[in-house]
Amino acid sequence: MNIRRVSSLAATAFLALVLFGQGATAASSSSGPKLPQLDVATYSSQVFWLIISFIVLYFLVAKLAMPRIAEVLEERQERIEDDLDKAETLKKEAYQVRIEYEKALSAAREKAQDATRHAQEEIAKRSAEAESAAQVKVTVMLEEAEKRIAASKTGTEGTSGDPISSLERSVAQEVVANAVQKLIGVDVTAADIDAAIAATLEERPQ
Amino acid sequence: MASPVDQFKLKTLVPFEVGGVDLAYTTSSLWMTITVVAVTLFLTLSMRGGRLVPGRWQSLAEMSYEFIANMIRENVGTEGRKYFPFIFTLFMFILMGNLLGMIPYSYTFTSQIVVTFAIAITIFLGVTVIGIVLHGFHFFTLFVPPGMPIVLAPLLIPIEVISYFVRPVSLSVRLFANMMAGHTMMKVFAGFTAALGVLGIAPILLLVALTGFEIMVAVLQAYVFTVLTCLYLNDAIHLH
Repeated sequence: MNIRRVSSLAATAFLALVLFGQGATAASSSSGPKLPQLDVATYSSQVFWLIISFIVLYFLVAKLAMPRIAEVLEERQERIEDDLDKAETLKKEAYQVRIEYEKALSAAREKAQDATRHAQEEIAKRSAEAESAAQVKVTVMLEEAEKRIAASKTGTEGTSGDPISSLERSVAQEVVANAVQKLIGVDVTAADIDAAIAATLEERPQ
Repeated sequence: MASPVDQFKLKTLVPFEVGGVDLAYTTSSLWMTITVVAVTLFLTLSMRGGRLVPGRWQSLAEMSYEFIANMIRENVGTEGRKYFPFIFTLFMFILMGNLLGMIPYSYTFTSQIVVTFAIAITIFLGVTVIGIVLHGFHFFTLFVPPGMPIVLAPLLIPIEVISYFVRPVSLSVRLFANMMAGHTMMKVFAGFTAALGVLGIAPILLLVALTGFEIMVAVLQAYVFTVLTCLYLNDAIHLH
Protein backbone atom coordinates (compact mmCIF):
# COMPACT_ATOMS: atom_id res chain seq x y z
CA MET A 1 0.00 0.00 0.00
CA ASN A 2 2.82 2.31 0.97
CA ILE A 3 4.87 1.62 -2.13
CA ARG A 4 1.86 2.29 -4.27
CA ARG A 5 1.14 5.60 -2.58
CA VAL A 6 4.76 6.71 -2.82
CA SER A 7 5.03 5.69 -6.44
CA SER A 8 1.81 7.45 -7.35
CA LEU A 9 3.00 10.57 -5.57
CA ALA A 10 6.30 10.33 -7.41
CA ALA A 11 4.43 9.88 -10.67
CA THR A 12 2.39 12.99 -10.03
CA ALA A 13 5.51 14.95 -9.20
CA PHE A 14 7.26 13.75 -12.35
CA LEU A 15 4.22 14.55 -14.43
CA ALA A 16 4.07 18.06 -13.02
CA LEU A 17 7.77 18.49 -13.66
CA VAL A 18 7.53 17.30 -17.22
CA LEU A 19 4.42 19.31 -18.03
CA PHE A 20 6.07 22.37 -16.56
CA GLY A 21 9.22 21.71 -18.58
CA GLN A 22 7.13 21.08 -21.62
CA GLY A 23 5.28 24.34 -21.10
CA ALA A 24 8.62 26.14 -20.99
CA THR A 25 9.89 24.53 -24.21
CA ALA A 26 6.55 25.08 -25.91
CA ALA A 27 6.67 28.70 -24.91
CA SER A 28 10.20 29.09 -26.24
CA SER A 29 9.63 27.27 -29.54
CA SER A 30 5.86 28.03 -29.74
CA SER A 31 5.32 25.56 -32.52
CA GLY A 32 3.82 22.06 -32.93
CA PRO A 33 1.64 20.10 -30.50
CA LYS A 34 2.46 20.29 -26.80
CA LEU A 35 2.82 16.62 -25.98
CA PRO A 36 2.88 13.86 -28.61
CA GLN A 37 0.68 11.75 -26.32
CA LEU A 38 -2.06 14.36 -26.49
CA ASP A 39 -2.25 14.19 -30.30
CA VAL A 40 -5.78 12.82 -30.66
CA ALA A 41 -5.18 11.92 -34.31
CA THR A 42 -3.00 8.96 -33.26
CA TYR A 43 -5.56 7.52 -30.84
CA SER A 44 -7.64 5.46 -33.24
CA SER A 45 -4.70 3.55 -34.65
CA GLN A 46 -3.11 3.00 -31.24
CA VAL A 47 -6.30 1.65 -29.70
CA PHE A 48 -6.96 -0.51 -32.76
CA TRP A 49 -3.53 -2.14 -32.63
CA LEU A 50 -3.70 -2.39 -28.86
CA ILE A 51 -6.93 -4.39 -29.09
CA ILE A 52 -5.53 -6.67 -31.77
CA SER A 53 -2.24 -7.20 -29.95
CA PHE A 54 -3.89 -7.83 -26.63
CA ILE A 55 -6.45 -10.29 -27.98
CA VAL A 56 -3.77 -12.19 -29.90
CA LEU A 57 -1.54 -12.29 -26.83
CA TYR A 58 -4.48 -13.37 -24.66
CA PHE A 59 -5.14 -16.41 -26.84
CA LEU A 60 -1.46 -17.27 -27.15
CA VAL A 61 -0.98 -17.06 -23.40
CA ALA A 62 -4.24 -18.70 -22.36
CA LYS A 63 -4.27 -21.50 -24.94
CA LEU A 64 -0.60 -22.10 -25.60
CA ALA A 65 1.63 -20.97 -22.76
CA MET A 66 -0.44 -21.38 -19.61
CA PRO A 67 -1.57 -24.98 -20.06
CA ARG A 68 2.04 -26.03 -20.51
CA ILE A 69 3.22 -24.17 -17.42
CA ALA A 70 0.29 -25.52 -15.40
CA GLU A 71 1.08 -29.02 -16.62
CA VAL A 72 4.74 -28.79 -15.60
CA LEU A 73 3.86 -27.31 -12.23
CA GLU A 74 1.22 -29.96 -11.63
CA GLU A 75 3.63 -32.70 -12.62
CA ARG A 76 6.15 -31.39 -10.16
CA GLN A 77 3.50 -31.05 -7.45
CA GLU A 78 2.41 -34.63 -8.07
CA ARG A 79 5.96 -35.82 -8.00
CA ILE A 80 6.57 -34.03 -4.73
CA GLU A 81 3.38 -35.42 -3.22
CA ASP A 82 4.29 -38.85 -4.50
CA ASP A 83 7.70 -38.61 -2.90
CA LEU A 84 6.18 -37.36 0.31
CA ASP A 85 3.73 -40.27 0.29
CA LYS A 86 6.57 -42.68 -0.25
CA ALA A 87 8.53 -41.09 2.56
CA GLU A 88 5.47 -41.37 4.79
CA THR A 89 5.06 -45.07 3.99
CA LEU A 90 8.71 -45.72 4.60
CA LYS A 91 8.52 -43.85 7.86
CA LYS A 92 5.57 -45.94 8.95
CA GLU A 93 7.41 -49.09 7.96
CA ALA A 94 10.46 -48.01 9.89
CA TYR A 95 8.25 -47.30 12.87
CA GLN A 96 6.71 -50.75 12.60
CA VAL A 97 10.12 -52.33 12.39
CA ARG A 98 11.27 -50.37 15.38
CA ILE A 99 8.26 -51.46 17.40
CA GLU A 100 8.89 -55.06 16.44
CA TYR A 101 12.54 -54.72 17.31
CA GLU A 102 11.67 -53.23 20.66
CA LYS A 103 9.20 -56.02 21.29
CA ALA A 104 11.81 -58.62 20.43
CA LEU A 105 14.34 -56.83 22.56
CA SER A 106 12.06 -56.73 25.60
CA ALA A 107 11.11 -60.37 25.08
CA ALA A 108 14.76 -61.32 24.96
CA ARG A 109 15.44 -59.27 28.05
CA GLU A 110 12.60 -61.01 29.87
CA LYS A 111 13.93 -64.36 28.78
CA ALA A 112 17.37 -63.47 30.00
CA GLN A 113 15.97 -62.36 33.34
CA ASP A 114 14.03 -65.60 33.58
CA ALA A 115 17.14 -67.61 32.87
CA THR A 116 19.10 -65.66 35.44
CA ARG A 117 16.39 -66.16 38.02
CA HIS A 118 16.24 -69.88 37.26
CA ALA A 119 19.96 -70.22 37.53
CA GLN A 120 20.01 -68.33 40.81
CA GLU A 121 17.24 -70.51 42.21
CA GLU A 122 19.07 -73.63 41.06
CA ILE A 123 22.28 -72.44 42.65
CA ALA A 124 20.50 -71.63 45.89
CA LYS A 125 18.76 -75.00 45.88
CA ARG A 126 21.90 -76.89 45.17
CA SER A 127 23.96 -75.04 47.70
CA ALA A 128 21.26 -75.59 50.31
CA GLU A 129 21.21 -79.28 49.48
CA ALA A 130 24.97 -79.54 49.64
CA GLU A 131 25.00 -77.63 52.87
CA SER A 132 22.41 -79.86 54.49
CA ALA A 133 24.20 -82.96 53.19
CA ALA A 134 27.46 -81.69 54.61
CA GLN A 135 25.69 -80.88 57.86
CA VAL A 136 24.40 -84.44 58.07
CA LYS A 137 27.86 -85.82 57.25
CA VAL A 138 29.50 -83.60 59.85
CA THR A 139 26.95 -84.61 62.44
CA VAL A 140 27.50 -88.25 61.63
CA MET A 141 31.26 -87.80 61.79
CA LEU A 142 31.01 -85.91 65.05
CA GLU A 143 28.87 -88.61 66.49
CA GLU A 144 31.27 -91.22 65.24
CA ALA A 145 34.22 -89.33 66.65
CA GLU A 146 32.51 -88.89 69.95
CA LYS A 147 31.69 -92.58 69.97
CA ARG A 148 35.27 -93.39 69.12
CA ILE A 149 36.58 -91.11 71.81
CA ALA A 150 34.23 -92.64 74.29
CA ALA A 151 35.16 -96.12 73.11
CA SER A 152 38.88 -95.39 73.37
CA LYS A 153 38.40 -93.95 76.82
CA THR A 154 36.57 -97.01 78.11
CA GLY A 155 39.03 -99.32 76.30
CA THR A 156 42.04 -97.91 78.10
CA GLU A 157 40.39 -97.98 81.38
CA GLY A 158 39.28 -101.57 80.84
CA THR A 159 42.78 -103.23 80.26
CA SER A 160 44.38 -102.63 83.67
CA GLY A 161 44.66 -100.33 86.65
CA ASP A 162 48.09 -99.34 85.43
CA PRO A 163 48.71 -95.65 84.92
CA ILE A 164 51.02 -96.61 82.02
CA SER A 165 50.43 -98.90 79.12
CA SER A 166 52.17 -102.21 78.51
CA LEU A 167 54.05 -100.76 75.56
CA GLU A 168 55.43 -97.94 77.69
CA ARG A 169 56.36 -100.44 80.31
CA SER A 170 58.23 -102.66 77.88
CA VAL A 171 60.05 -99.70 76.31
CA ALA A 172 61.00 -98.40 79.77
CA GLN A 173 62.18 -101.84 80.83
CA GLU A 174 64.46 -102.11 77.79
CA VAL A 175 65.81 -98.59 78.19
CA VAL A 176 66.45 -99.05 81.87
CA ALA A 177 68.13 -102.47 81.31
CA ASN A 178 70.41 -101.01 78.69
CA ALA A 179 71.23 -97.95 80.75
CA VAL A 180 72.04 -99.98 83.87
CA GLN A 181 74.22 -102.35 81.79
CA LYS A 182 76.14 -99.43 80.36
CA LEU A 183 76.43 -97.46 83.56
CA ILE A 184 77.21 -100.03 86.11
CA GLY A 185 77.70 -103.25 84.18
CA VAL A 186 74.96 -105.09 86.02
CA ASP A 187 72.32 -107.13 84.23
CA VAL A 188 68.90 -106.43 85.60
CA THR A 189 65.82 -108.57 84.97
CA ALA A 190 62.43 -107.41 83.97
CA ALA A 191 61.07 -108.24 87.33
CA ASP A 192 63.59 -105.94 89.04
CA ILE A 193 62.72 -103.12 86.78
CA ASP A 194 59.03 -103.64 87.33
CA ALA A 195 59.57 -103.49 90.99
CA ALA A 196 61.62 -100.30 90.63
CA ILE A 197 58.97 -98.68 88.49
CA ALA A 198 56.29 -99.60 90.94
CA ALA A 199 58.29 -98.11 93.70
CA THR A 200 58.91 -94.92 91.79
CA LEU A 201 55.30 -94.57 90.89
CA GLU A 202 54.29 -94.96 94.46
CA GLU A 203 56.87 -92.43 95.71
CA ARG A 204 55.85 -89.82 93.06
CA PRO A 205 53.24 -87.45 94.31
CA GLN A 206 50.09 -87.74 92.32
CA MET B 1 18.09 20.64 -29.72
CA ALA B 2 15.20 18.19 -29.90
CA SER B 3 12.66 18.36 -27.10
CA PRO B 4 12.97 15.50 -24.60
CA VAL B 5 9.38 14.57 -25.34
CA ASP B 6 9.97 14.17 -29.07
CA GLN B 7 10.79 10.54 -28.35
CA PHE B 8 7.07 9.92 -27.80
CA LYS B 9 6.17 10.99 -31.34
CA LEU B 10 4.81 8.16 -33.44
CA LYS B 11 6.19 7.29 -36.84
CA THR B 12 3.80 5.76 -39.32
CA LEU B 13 5.32 2.57 -40.69
CA VAL B 14 2.41 1.25 -42.76
CA PRO B 15 -0.40 3.68 -43.56
CA PHE B 16 -3.78 2.03 -43.13
CA GLU B 17 -7.18 3.64 -43.16
CA VAL B 18 -10.69 2.20 -42.91
CA GLY B 19 -13.64 4.43 -43.69
CA GLY B 20 -11.69 7.58 -43.00
CA VAL B 21 -10.46 6.25 -39.63
CA ASP B 22 -6.68 6.18 -39.34
CA LEU B 23 -5.53 2.71 -38.33
CA ALA B 24 -1.91 3.09 -39.43
CA TYR B 25 0.71 0.63 -38.23
CA THR B 26 3.07 2.86 -36.23
CA THR B 27 6.14 2.42 -34.04
CA SER B 28 3.77 1.92 -31.12
CA SER B 29 2.01 -0.90 -33.00
CA LEU B 30 5.37 -2.40 -33.95
CA TRP B 31 6.47 -2.59 -30.32
CA MET B 32 3.12 -4.02 -29.31
CA THR B 33 3.70 -6.74 -31.88
CA ILE B 34 7.23 -7.30 -30.60
CA THR B 35 5.84 -7.50 -27.07
CA VAL B 36 3.31 -10.14 -28.12
CA VAL B 37 6.02 -12.17 -29.81
CA ALA B 38 8.48 -11.73 -26.93
CA VAL B 39 5.97 -12.75 -24.26
CA THR B 40 4.84 -15.76 -26.28
CA LEU B 41 8.39 -16.89 -26.99
CA PHE B 42 9.41 -16.33 -23.39
CA LEU B 43 6.52 -18.34 -21.99
CA THR B 44 6.71 -21.18 -24.51
CA LEU B 45 10.40 -21.64 -25.30
CA SER B 46 11.36 -21.56 -21.65
CA MET B 47 8.84 -24.30 -20.89
CA ARG B 48 9.74 -26.47 -23.89
CA GLY B 49 11.91 -28.77 -21.80
CA GLY B 50 9.37 -28.83 -19.01
CA ARG B 51 11.98 -30.19 -16.70
CA LEU B 52 11.22 -31.29 -13.18
CA VAL B 53 14.09 -29.19 -11.90
CA PRO B 54 13.75 -25.93 -13.85
CA GLY B 55 16.60 -24.04 -15.47
CA ARG B 56 16.92 -20.25 -15.38
CA TRP B 57 14.44 -19.42 -18.13
CA GLN B 58 11.94 -22.00 -17.02
CA SER B 59 12.24 -20.68 -13.46
CA LEU B 60 11.50 -17.17 -14.69
CA ALA B 61 8.41 -18.28 -16.59
CA GLU B 62 7.18 -20.37 -13.67
CA MET B 63 7.87 -17.54 -11.24
CA SER B 64 5.84 -15.09 -13.34
CA TYR B 65 3.01 -17.59 -13.51
CA GLU B 66 3.03 -18.34 -9.80
CA PHE B 67 3.50 -14.67 -8.92
CA ILE B 68 0.22 -13.78 -10.62
CA ALA B 69 -1.49 -16.96 -9.37
CA ASN B 70 -0.60 -16.00 -5.79
CA MET B 71 -1.58 -12.39 -6.36
CA ILE B 72 -5.05 -13.48 -7.48
CA ARG B 73 -5.38 -16.01 -4.67
CA GLU B 74 -4.45 -13.42 -2.07
CA ASN B 75 -6.38 -10.45 -3.43
CA VAL B 76 -9.40 -12.03 -5.06
CA GLY B 77 -9.64 -15.55 -3.70
CA THR B 78 -10.70 -18.72 -5.46
CA GLU B 79 -13.37 -16.90 -7.48
CA GLY B 80 -10.55 -15.05 -9.23
CA ARG B 81 -9.28 -18.26 -10.85
CA LYS B 82 -11.48 -17.61 -13.91
CA TYR B 83 -9.76 -14.30 -14.61
CA PHE B 84 -6.26 -15.71 -14.23
CA PRO B 85 -5.53 -15.89 -18.00
CA PHE B 86 -6.64 -12.28 -18.48
CA ILE B 87 -4.68 -10.92 -15.52
CA PHE B 88 -1.60 -12.94 -16.42
CA THR B 89 -1.77 -11.65 -20.00
CA LEU B 90 -2.26 -8.11 -18.72
CA PHE B 91 0.75 -8.36 -16.44
CA MET B 92 3.02 -9.88 -19.07
CA PHE B 93 1.90 -7.37 -21.71
CA ILE B 94 2.56 -4.32 -19.54
CA LEU B 95 5.75 -5.75 -18.02
CA MET B 96 7.23 -6.69 -21.38
CA GLY B 97 6.11 -3.37 -22.92
CA ASN B 98 7.77 -1.43 -20.10
CA LEU B 99 10.97 -3.47 -20.20
CA LEU B 100 11.31 -3.45 -23.98
CA GLY B 101 10.92 0.33 -23.76
CA MET B 102 14.21 0.42 -21.88
CA ILE B 103 16.07 -0.72 -24.98
CA PRO B 104 17.60 2.35 -26.68
CA TYR B 105 15.72 3.43 -29.84
CA SER B 106 12.74 1.26 -28.96
CA TYR B 107 9.29 2.65 -28.30
CA THR B 108 7.45 2.44 -25.00
CA PHE B 109 3.77 2.08 -25.88
CA THR B 110 2.83 2.30 -22.18
CA SER B 111 3.99 5.92 -22.24
CA GLN B 112 0.91 6.68 -24.35
CA ILE B 113 -2.02 7.82 -22.22
CA VAL B 114 -4.48 6.51 -24.77
CA VAL B 115 -3.04 3.00 -24.51
CA THR B 116 -3.01 2.88 -20.72
CA PHE B 117 -6.44 4.51 -20.57
CA ALA B 118 -7.88 2.04 -23.05
CA ILE B 119 -6.66 -0.83 -20.90
CA ALA B 120 -7.84 0.83 -17.68
CA ILE B 121 -11.31 1.68 -18.99
CA THR B 122 -11.71 -1.86 -20.29
CA ILE B 123 -10.84 -3.22 -16.85
CA PHE B 124 -13.13 -0.70 -15.20
CA LEU B 125 -16.08 -1.57 -17.42
CA GLY B 126 -15.40 -5.29 -17.21
CA VAL B 127 -15.16 -5.22 -13.43
CA THR B 128 -18.35 -3.17 -13.14
CA VAL B 129 -20.22 -5.56 -15.41
CA ILE B 130 -18.94 -8.54 -13.39
CA GLY B 131 -20.13 -6.86 -10.20
CA ILE B 132 -23.58 -6.10 -11.55
CA VAL B 133 -23.98 -9.58 -13.04
CA LEU B 134 -22.93 -11.23 -9.78
CA HIS B 135 -24.85 -9.02 -7.36
CA GLY B 136 -27.50 -7.19 -9.40
CA PHE B 137 -28.80 -4.06 -7.70
CA HIS B 138 -26.99 -5.09 -4.52
CA PHE B 139 -23.74 -4.15 -6.30
CA PHE B 140 -24.43 -0.48 -5.54
CA THR B 141 -23.93 -1.10 -1.82
CA LEU B 142 -20.28 -0.91 -2.84
CA PHE B 143 -20.72 2.86 -2.60
CA VAL B 144 -21.92 2.63 1.00
CA PRO B 145 -18.96 2.20 3.35
CA PRO B 146 -19.71 -0.44 5.98
CA GLY B 147 -20.70 0.93 9.38
CA MET B 148 -21.38 4.42 7.97
CA PRO B 149 -23.68 6.61 10.14
CA ILE B 150 -26.74 7.47 8.04
CA VAL B 151 -26.14 11.22 8.65
CA LEU B 152 -22.90 11.01 6.70
CA ALA B 153 -24.51 9.31 3.70
CA PRO B 154 -24.96 12.50 1.64
CA LEU B 155 -21.27 13.22 2.07
CA LEU B 156 -19.68 9.77 1.88
CA ILE B 157 -21.71 8.24 -0.93
CA PRO B 158 -20.74 10.91 -3.49
CA ILE B 159 -17.12 10.57 -2.40
CA GLU B 160 -17.27 6.81 -2.89
CA VAL B 161 -18.96 7.21 -6.28
CA ILE B 162 -16.39 9.74 -7.43
CA SER B 163 -13.49 7.64 -6.20
CA TYR B 164 -14.97 4.67 -8.03
CA PHE B 165 -15.25 6.52 -11.32
CA VAL B 166 -11.80 8.03 -10.93
CA ARG B 167 -10.29 4.55 -10.83
CA PRO B 168 -9.67 4.18 -14.58
CA VAL B 169 -8.12 7.64 -14.66
CA SER B 170 -5.76 7.06 -11.74
CA LEU B 171 -4.92 3.60 -12.98
CA SER B 172 -4.01 4.77 -16.47
CA VAL B 173 -2.35 8.05 -15.49
CA ARG B 174 -0.13 6.32 -12.95
CA LEU B 175 1.37 3.98 -15.54
CA PHE B 176 1.52 6.55 -18.32
CA ALA B 177 3.07 9.24 -16.12
CA ASN B 178 5.68 6.92 -14.66
CA MET B 179 6.76 5.76 -18.08
CA MET B 180 6.75 9.20 -19.67
CA ALA B 181 8.53 10.85 -16.74
CA GLY B 182 11.25 8.23 -16.64
CA HIS B 183 11.97 8.34 -20.32
CA THR B 184 11.83 12.13 -20.42
CA MET B 185 14.24 12.39 -17.53
CA MET B 186 16.68 10.04 -19.21
CA LYS B 187 16.46 12.05 -22.40
CA VAL B 188 17.11 15.26 -20.48
CA PHE B 189 20.26 13.85 -18.90
CA ALA B 190 21.36 12.44 -22.23
CA GLY B 191 20.95 15.96 -23.62
CA PHE B 192 23.15 17.33 -20.84
CA THR B 193 25.80 14.80 -21.74
CA ALA B 194 25.80 15.92 -25.33
CA ALA B 195 25.97 19.59 -24.30
CA LEU B 196 28.67 19.23 -21.63
CA GLY B 197 31.31 17.45 -23.72
CA VAL B 198 34.05 15.99 -21.46
CA LEU B 199 32.14 16.95 -18.31
CA GLY B 200 29.29 14.88 -19.70
CA ILE B 201 30.66 11.93 -17.77
CA ALA B 202 28.66 13.08 -14.72
CA PRO B 203 25.24 12.88 -16.40
CA ILE B 204 26.27 9.58 -17.96
CA LEU B 205 26.94 8.11 -14.53
CA LEU B 206 23.59 9.44 -13.42
CA LEU B 207 22.01 7.89 -16.50
CA VAL B 208 23.44 4.50 -15.58
CA ALA B 209 21.82 4.77 -12.14
CA LEU B 210 18.59 6.05 -13.73
CA THR B 211 18.52 3.10 -16.11
CA GLY B 212 18.57 0.70 -13.16
CA PHE B 213 15.92 2.76 -11.44
CA GLU B 214 13.72 2.83 -14.54
CA ILE B 215 13.95 -0.92 -14.91
CA MET B 216 12.71 -1.18 -11.36
CA VAL B 217 9.90 1.26 -12.13
CA ALA B 218 9.01 -0.77 -15.23
CA VAL B 219 8.54 -3.90 -13.12
CA LEU B 220 6.95 -2.08 -10.21
CA GLN B 221 4.38 -0.30 -12.36
CA ALA B 222 3.41 -3.52 -14.12
CA TYR B 223 2.92 -5.02 -10.68
CA VAL B 224 0.94 -2.04 -9.37
CA PHE B 225 -1.30 -2.01 -12.41
CA THR B 226 -2.01 -5.70 -12.04
CA VAL B 227 -2.50 -5.70 -8.30
CA LEU B 228 -4.96 -2.79 -8.56
CA THR B 229 -6.86 -4.71 -11.21
CA CYS B 230 -7.05 -7.59 -8.75
CA LEU B 231 -8.31 -5.30 -5.99
CA TYR B 232 -11.00 -3.82 -8.26
CA LEU B 233 -12.00 -7.33 -9.26
CA ASN B 234 -12.15 -8.30 -5.60
CA ASP B 235 -14.42 -5.33 -4.88
CA ALA B 236 -16.74 -6.40 -7.67
CA ILE B 237 -16.85 -10.02 -6.49
CA HIS B 238 -16.96 -9.52 -2.72
CA LEU B 239 -18.27 -5.91 -2.57
CA HIS B 240 -16.51 -5.05 0.71
